[in-house]
Amino acid sequence: MKKIKLFNCLLSGTILLSVQSCSKKIDDVYANPNANVKQPIEKLLPNIISNMCISFTSQGSNYGPQNDGLYVGRYVQYWATNTANNQYDLMGQTTTNNTSATADIGGSQWAMHYYGMGTNISKVIEWGTEDKKWDYVGVAHAIRAFGWLAVTDMHGEVILKDAFNPNLLVFRYDTQKEVYDEVIRQCRLAIENLSKTGDGVSAANLAQGASYFSLQGDVEKWKKFTYAIMARTFHRITNKSSYSADSVIKYCNLAVNNNADNAYVLFQGVSSQTNSYYGSFRGFIGALRQTKFIADLESGLNSSFPGVVDPRAWYIIRENTANTFKGIRPGKGVEALTTNDQPRNFWGGLYSATTGTNANSRYVFKDAMPWPVVTACEIQFLKAEALYRKGDKPGAQAAYSNGISLNIDMLNNDYSSSVPVTRLINPAMKAAFIANPLVVPSAANLNLSHIMLQKYIALYGYGFMETWADLRRFHYLDIEAGTTRQVYTDFAPPALAELFANNNQKYVYRIRPRFNSEFLYNIDALTQIGALALDFHTKEQWFTQP
Amino acid sequence: MRKLTNRLITLLLFLVPLVTQAQISISGRVLNDAGVAVKGASVIIKGKTSGTKTDSQGNFTITAAKGDVLIISSIGFITKQVTVKDGAAITVNLNPADFTMEEVTVAMDIKRNPRELGYSVQNIKGSDIQETQRENFINSLQGRVAGATITSTSGNAGASSSIVLRGFNSLSLSNQPLFVIDGVIADNQTIDENSNGQSGVGLVERGAGLTSTNNRITDYNNRISDMNPNDIESVTVLKGPEATALYGSQASSGAIIITTRKAKTNKLGIQYDNAFRIQTLTRYPQTFDGFQNGFNGDTLSVFRYFGPAYAEGTQRFNNKKNFFKTGFSQTHNLGVDFGFKKSIFRFSSSVFDQDGIVPNNAYNRYSLKLSNTTQLGKYGDISPALSYMHTSNSKVLRSAGGFMLGLLSWPSTNDISKTQGDNATKVPLFNANPNSDFDNPLFNVNNNKNGEKTGRINASLGINLRPTKWLSVAGRFGYETYSTEGFLRYHPLSYYISAGVGGIQDNFWRKYEGYNHTITATAKKTVGKNFNFRVMAGTMWQDYETEMYAVTGSNIVDSIINGKMWKNGTILNDATYKALPSPSDSNATRVITRNRLLRNVYGEYNQSILRSFAYFGEFAFNYKNLVFLNYTHRFEEASTLPESNRKFNYPGASISTIVSDILPFLKKGDILSYMKLRGSVAATARLNTPYSTQSVFVNNLSSGGGFSYGFFNNNPDLHPEKQKTFEIGTEMRFLKSRVTLDATYYNTLNKGQIIENFRLSYGTGYVLNTQNAGSTRNQGVEITLGAKVLDRKSLTWNMQFNFNRGWNKVVELPKNVSLYYLSDGNVYGNAAGGIVLGGSTTSISGWGYMRNKDGEKLINATTGLPVIDGNQRIRGDRNPDFSLGWNNSFAYKNWKLNFLWDSKVGGDIFNGTNQYLTTIGRSTLTADRLTPRVIDGVLMDGLENSANPTRNTMAVVPYYNDNYYRLLPEEEFIEKDVYWFRLRDITLSYMFPARMVKRIKVVKTLSAFFTANDVILISNYTGADASVNANTAGTRGVGTFGFDYGTMPAQLSLNFGFRASF
Repeated sequence: MKKIKLFNCLLSGTILLSVQSCSKKIDDVYANPNANVKQPIEKLLPNIISNMCISFTSQGSNYGPQNDGLYVGRYVQYWATNTANNQYDLMGQTTTNNTSATADIGGSQWAMHYYGMGTNISKVIEWGTEDKKWDYVGVAHAIRAFGWLAVTDMHGEVILKDAFNPNLLVFRYDTQKEVYDEVIRQCRLAIENLSKTGDGVSAANLAQGASYFSLQGDVEKWKKFTYAIMARTFHRITNKSSYSADSVIKYCNLAVNNNADNAYVLFQGVSSQTNSYYGSFRGFIGALRQTKFIADLESGLNSSFPGVVDPRAWYIIRENTANTFKGIRPGKGVEALTTNDQPRNFWGGLYSATTGTNANSRYVFKDAMPWPVVTACEIQFLKAEALYRKGDKPGAQAAYSNGISLNIDMLNNDYSSSVPVTRLINPAMKAAFIANPLVVPSAANLNLSHIMLQKYIALYGYGFMETWADLRRFHYLDIEAGTTRQVYTDFAPPALAELFANNNQKYVYRIRPRFNSEFLYNIDALTQIGALALDFHTKEQWFTQP
Repeated sequence: MRKLTNRLITLLLFLVPLVTQAQISISGRVLNDAGVAVKGASVIIKGKTSGTKTDSQGNFTITAAKGDVLIISSIGFITKQVTVKDGAAITVNLNPADFTMEEVTVAMDIKRNPRELGYSVQNIKGSDIQETQRENFINSLQGRVAGATITSTSGNAGASSSIVLRGFNSLSLSNQPLFVIDGVIADNQTIDENSNGQSGVGLVERGAGLTSTNNRITDYNNRISDMNPNDIESVTVLKGPEATALYGSQASSGAIIITTRKAKTNKLGIQYDNAFRIQTLTRYPQTFDGFQNGFNGDTLSVFRYFGPAYAEGTQRFNNKKNFFKTGFSQTHNLGVDFGFKKSIFRFSSSVFDQDGIVPNNAYNRYSLKLSNTTQLGKYGDISPALSYMHTSNSKVLRSAGGFMLGLLSWPSTNDISKTQGDNATKVPLFNANPNSDFDNPLFNVNNNKNGEKTGRINASLGINLRPTKWLSVAGRFGYETYSTEGFLRYHPLSYYISAGVGGIQDNFWRKYEGYNHTITATAKKTVGKNFNFRVMAGTMWQDYETEMYAVTGSNIVDSIINGKMWKNGTILNDATYKALPSPSDSNATRVITRNRLLRNVYGEYNQSILRSFAYFGEFAFNYKNLVFLNYTHRFEEASTLPESNRKFNYPGASISTIVSDILPFLKKGDILSYMKLRGSVAATARLNTPYSTQSVFVNNLSSGGGFSYGFFNNNPDLHPEKQKTFEIGTEMRFLKSRVTLDATYYNTLNKGQIIENFRLSYGTGYVLNTQNAGSTRNQGVEITLGAKVLDRKSLTWNMQFNFNRGWNKVVELPKNVSLYYLSDGNVYGNAAGGIVLGGSTTSISGWGYMRNKDGEKLINATTGLPVIDGNQRIRGDRNPDFSLGWNNSFAYKNWKLNFLWDSKVGGDIFNGTNQYLTTIGRSTLTADRLTPRVIDGVLMDGLENSANPTRNTMAVVPYYNDNYYRLLPEEEFIEKDVYWFRLRDITLSYMFPARMVKRIKVVKTLSAFFTANDVILISNYTGADASVNANTAGTRGVGTFGFDYGTMPAQLSLNFGFRASF
């Protein structure tokens, strides 16, 4: 009997002892040894920044405006497809309802905001607050504001209050007004944090995370960036009685005002991952050609700028083999353009070619050129429109003229590479251009078309999200009050009957939420906003409505 | 204990009157279990030499004292002991001792009498396995185990095989059983290319035009195939959780218990055998080849065959013949038994060398093993063993991008053997740009190479101690380690990558170290005469560490200009291309293009570590060896779970009753000889993969580097999956045990399944999510029927049927998950193993025809072609109605003939190969393309669901409109109710008579054999072979058996060899 007891003791004793040491050994290997569950926020910022242009991580790539721009750029007629009847040229949206990549067309900024930036931004805010790195916290809020604005401009109602909650199964959509309010709230948080000094704030340290962003570690510039987002947001609702031109002017004045403050995403330019989505190296825009609208605008064929040959044409669009600037009409392909008239592709290849070289590419279509997120010229045009709406024509004219000047300087400073030497804009040419009353009329003669069209030119190639917001504010074809002139003079969307079949002869006003995020898993919420309708993309958004 | 017993006996003796010591005459009768007299049975008194024998009527008389124990024995029966009570006559029933009553090895390397097991076990002899000559011994289990499904990835040399017992329970985790060799858990991983959200080991997802291959186009050995089949003495298959409850979560899908061969005596004995095998392709997808390359009746240089018919006299080549060769393999096995007194050894070694039927596909393995058993007097024994295995496998791409699809697509007007080019050139067929031109299948296998090499060491120690009669202590300690080195190279000119990429190469290095031990202590006690108790307590420790370093890079050459490869400013030719660094050297790629996963970036290996500690107990009780009750409980702690959920425990219980012994009248008339009823119920858990609880950062590759969160919302609140099973069964023997029957019904509910990587709105902040959600129920019936059909002196014939019918259902899924599938299975078109609530877990999802309310096809009112429902919906179920193995063995004098028929009836198969062939005009479906036809259906004109839908009358001539074939949905290619009957293995062997062998000195026995594998296949499947798998054994969840896409079928194998002992 004794033996049994003794043995039992021994056995249970051994077990108890080993239970403790084993539990320790087991706990030792619980944490993932391969990848950190925490990273320094300095290491998180580069990806967040790349999302403002085009992202590339080992899990998920090509999120961001450049990807959606392939399609939005068609809606705004920056470019069109080299073959006829492309559904996006015809203001359509994807009809694919499966898990293939084409189903997600137009959903890149959705992925950018909710996933690419998503939890990463939340963690910069959380861990930055812990470490009192207020500059990082401010930057994170500013970029979150950028994200909110991008997704709501694109999709209208989006997930706001339920966002970034990993424990939910379904997510409700919130109104666009609430999202704009959130943009402003995030901007204010950004300004508040960017204004803090001391603690862990350090320009050198912020520059580490923002090494591929032109603003680097300069919090003052980051504030200007933030104010620009605010100005854009306040300006969205020009059609509403609640529109406040003064707010827009105020934030424009605080925002980016000279080219040195331009916010650019920069590229390292050594591999697919570190090159621009629009460059020849990556080769995504081989089928896109400039439109007739921009070509005419640049070569004096637009009735608002009759006979004005814009020297910027050599920077931003492509000449044909006859050294003139022609473009194609959306949905029409090459039409009757003779071979000599057919515009080269954006990489300098012939119309018929879908490839080209970096050496022959210019502007934002080069492999590693800076990608503008906010530019000083854009802010001047924004301000010009606000002043114009307020009735301050001289002020509007000054801002307008300044916008053109800043844009030419920006092109000369940053985008003259590969422009033929003989075509470079020298100070005299610039002065002559601005002095041309057909370009910069007297304050009394200035009209909305001037402002919007020059803004269109200044934002060409990169500002499609702003330009689309503008075009939608003017319902593409709106006529300036009191005149018979179409604000976007000569801008011609495809004929109603030729629009993509699902449009039911209506213009595009939004893109459905990203398929692979929403259409399999969030049907109830989609149903509530009507997103299952085949013509959902033609449903006008809240911001353009009176 | 002994003291206690002695005291009790002393106490008893005090109470017993002295008169009992007096000698009395006892008479009795000995009967067999059917009540028939046993004559000549010996009856002796325990501890004495005197005794007697029964007469022809089974009667005996003996003089003994009250309390004496009589030992009654007879050949062919189990010896029985009877205590003398008084002078009354004794009737003794002897139970027959037959082979099925041999003890079987069950969990924890413990031997148990089958009578007491409350669950089904199946035992396979090692010699049966060896006889099949299959190098991956898992493949020899098909048809021999009721309820086991073995799926070989392909017919390629070195292909992995997966085994699943009793169907699929888990949707996202492994359903493969645990492998235990001599009580030690052995590793059977197959490399899973997916890194589990880049949180663990895996391959880097390739950029540069190739996305992750997701276990689809390369295969990796399943590591248990390293084992030399010749070392196997026997295999016990434990199917249910009750059987394996003691192994815990690792064995939630059952266990394969392997006992290795050991020396039987210390006398020197040598065995040698060999086999030479030739393999030849006998099964090949049916194709049709009547039309030239082109579209819609026009000639065009494309890999589609919708052009005009071939002109008469066009020269055609048999490219199949030009491609395949005759495979040859040889194997040599040597075994040496020797020993010194009570320490006996066995040394075994094996060489297997296979050259497959596909060029550059070879597999070889050699192994060495030394084992020892040393008796420690009466106190026990120890048995250490050490083995070394080495395998190497030269592989070719399979499935998408593999040679098979290339071969099926290649124009017969072109001789592949003349147009493959050399190492530096690809002879263009349709396109001057070689990267836009399909790879000639020979070019493909010669230049898109991959391979792996593994060296593995296994050391184990078994200790059995018997400190006292009633107590035994056993320990099993195992350590094994292996390292694998592998590569995959895409030739710079390959079709599967673009010219700018300049070739892709992956290299990986993998290391594994595993240690586990199990220590048990068992105490037995008999109370009174009829009550037997057994108590076991034990502990188990497991520590498995897998490490992997992987790098992928591109630009093996600098550039490709006009189809020429450039490196360092010169054009490469055959010789200079060959002189480039070999594919196993990761320096072959351009430094800047190299991608690595996680810690690999810093030159460190990524790790996946699982540690688990458990203690457990078993309480067993039986009454008179007639009724057995068993209860087990296991407490486990595993490292994959967060601390709050890390400890869990589960019970198991079983009952076994020998009805035929409780009610002996059942045995009257010699019809029923034995009947047992059994039942068990158990719970177990299944672990999540390591680190699936922690969201991690992955590399940001865009400018600035750094990190960002990966796709995976790894749930920090995860619990293990909870699996509950009950099974009931019976074992019966009839006609003096000539016919045996074992039948089982099982029912498993797997609750709180860890659904990994399921999609939700990106509103979560992630793309893929992991949750405990969803349940499946899995049920089935297994029947094993054995019969001695003939039992004559010169001729015997035994047969065995193994039947299984299973069915399964998804009983719970998150409400908003309308369809869930693992992306690995999405191998061609839109087909995947999607599941829905209420559907089968083995469903096939894909696109189908749009139909009206009456189920008629909707027809596009302008094209006359069917309207496709481009939604993933359930279109088929791969689960077979039943599977049946039929095993026969004949023995006639010195001849033996064994053969196994294996059949599977029912279950659907997605024939992606045929869908692909149809889209290119090579399927037999496209043969009749000139006949105008009207597709039966109704126009989709708004009236389709009305009372009078418009019937389609539009005629289509596919010859002029190849969309007729090219737009067909997966539904069309899901072949329903596929059956197969295959003669899997057949062996004829001859044992040379002793007198003949005597002439050759030193040789003791000598036999020769001929074995053929995969001889006959009868099937309604239109593809080559319905035994298909689109992924490797490394894929988790339900996997992709039943998905055919360019699968290489098993070949006919003919083996010859001889066996000798010295």
